[in-house]
Amino acid sequence: MKTPTTSRSDFISIRDFCFFYGSKQALFDISMEIPERQVTAFIGPSGCGKSTLLRNLNRMNDLVDGIRHTGDIVINGNSIYDPHIEVISLRKRVGMVFQKSNPFPKSIYENVVYPLRVAGQNKKAVLDETVERSLKGAALWNEVKDRLHDSALGLSGGQMQRLCIARAIANRPEILLMDEPCSALDPIATVKVEELIQELKREFTIVIVTHNMQQATRCSDLTAFFYLGKLIEFDETHKIFSNPSNKQTEDYITGRFG
Amino acid sequence: METARHILTSYEAALDTLRKDVLMMSSLSARSLDHARKGLFERDEDWCNTVIADDEEIDALEIQVDTQGMDIMLRFHPLASDLRNVIAAMKTSVNLERAADQSVGIARRTKKLLALPQLSETARIEPLFNLANGMYLDSVRAYADGDIELARSLKSRDRDLDESNRRLADALTELMPQNPDLIRGYLELIFIARCLERIGDLAKNIAEDTIYAVSVTDVRHTPQAA
Repeated sequence: MKTPTTSRSDFISIRDFCFFYGSKQALFDISMEIPERQVTAFIGPSGCGKSTLLRNLNRMNDLVDGIRHTGDIVINGNSIYDPHIEVISLRKRVGMVFQKSNPFPKSIYENVVYPLRVAGQNKKAVLDETVERSLKGAALWNEVKDRLHDSALGLSGGQMQRLCIARAIANRPEILLMDEPCSALDPIATVKVEELIQELKREFTIVIVTHNMQQATRCSDLTAFFYLGKLIEFDETHKIFSNPSNKQTEDYITGRFG
Repeated sequence: METARHILTSYEAALDTLRKDVLMMSSLSARSLDHARKGLFERDEDWCNTVIADDEEIDALEIQVDTQGMDIMLRFHPLASDLRNVIAAMKTSVNLERAADQSVGIARRTKKLLALPQLSETARIEPLFNLANGMYLDSVRAYADGDIELARSLKSRDRDLDESNRRLADALTELMPQNPDLIRGYLELIFIARCLERIGDLAKNIAEDTIYAVSVTDVRHTPQAA
């Protein structure tokens, strides 16, 4: 499926991608082009394959036993399945934020610099700069700058999620994957994360999985609708939610499904 | 696009109620226009009073449709065709209410006419009445059936109605110097024709909103046929 009309160039190219958990096929011939520095939302009912596809974009599914795939995913011209590509370096380029915030039981500061320390970076100036940049990028700096060495577990749910976003962008990834990042947050925290997403897309290509249709309409530039492991429709968000081309999409977003 | 019933029955019921209330408004508004016609051509003041009295019910329905539409948006966050249908219902109800107001205008002008000697020129307004009434009924039918072909026919018919109105106004104006005693009556007829011309405009608006709701094509303020 071609990229919907957009001024941005294609950045992630998913080509005839099929994915299997053992004998069960979860994704069927997915082809789509995701443009750079736009927000692309994946929507669809539970079990439709949207999170599976998201987790394939940084090969998180490699951690699952018995998986296999056919087809390819190409990011910025390079296959993520190229044998010369290290999965660790791929995940540095493709950061991820999960449904439930998962800060480490460490200080706010140490949470943010964790990916740098793993990579062997221990220069204080670099780490300090990263903490400030990342927390500002995650719209959390003003709330925590005076308690950077307090435990991250003392933050509110919304702050924890933004801390996880700060941690995900600390390494300056090219792509940010978000798997229902607001599903555990209250409406105010949700709005803050949504506002943040709009800021982040200036620098990052964002792919977000959401069950919240209003969130998809507010946050994303493009929306892809999946059903039973297939990509049914991929278009500009305004088009999908005002006048979808496919009846299955219309039935799903208007709640006439199943 | 055929749509199945909504999973959420209260949502489906709210959409049904909204639509039924708009259709009810359209029936009442059509009835008012018919009563206004009877008042004018049968010279019957009772029909005129009925039109004026019935307007209250149509006004109340307009408010009800707005309230229901707002409630649906607030509670169910309609999307795609549902959203378009809710917006179309709310906009259509405004046009229906205004059409009913024009019928009231005709009834009030007719009452003034009835206080004057009968004018033979009253018959000249009948073709306009037929045009406006036909447009109004077809716009409502197009809305009810989602018939965009019928809706598209309204724009050119509105131009015909405008032209007929202009010609009638010119003709009556020309008669005024010859019959100065009848000027008041001619003016009432011109005002009545103006109300019919407005009903044509409102029918065209309903047709345009129907076209948008069904085909997501905005034909307002475009030169081509709606």
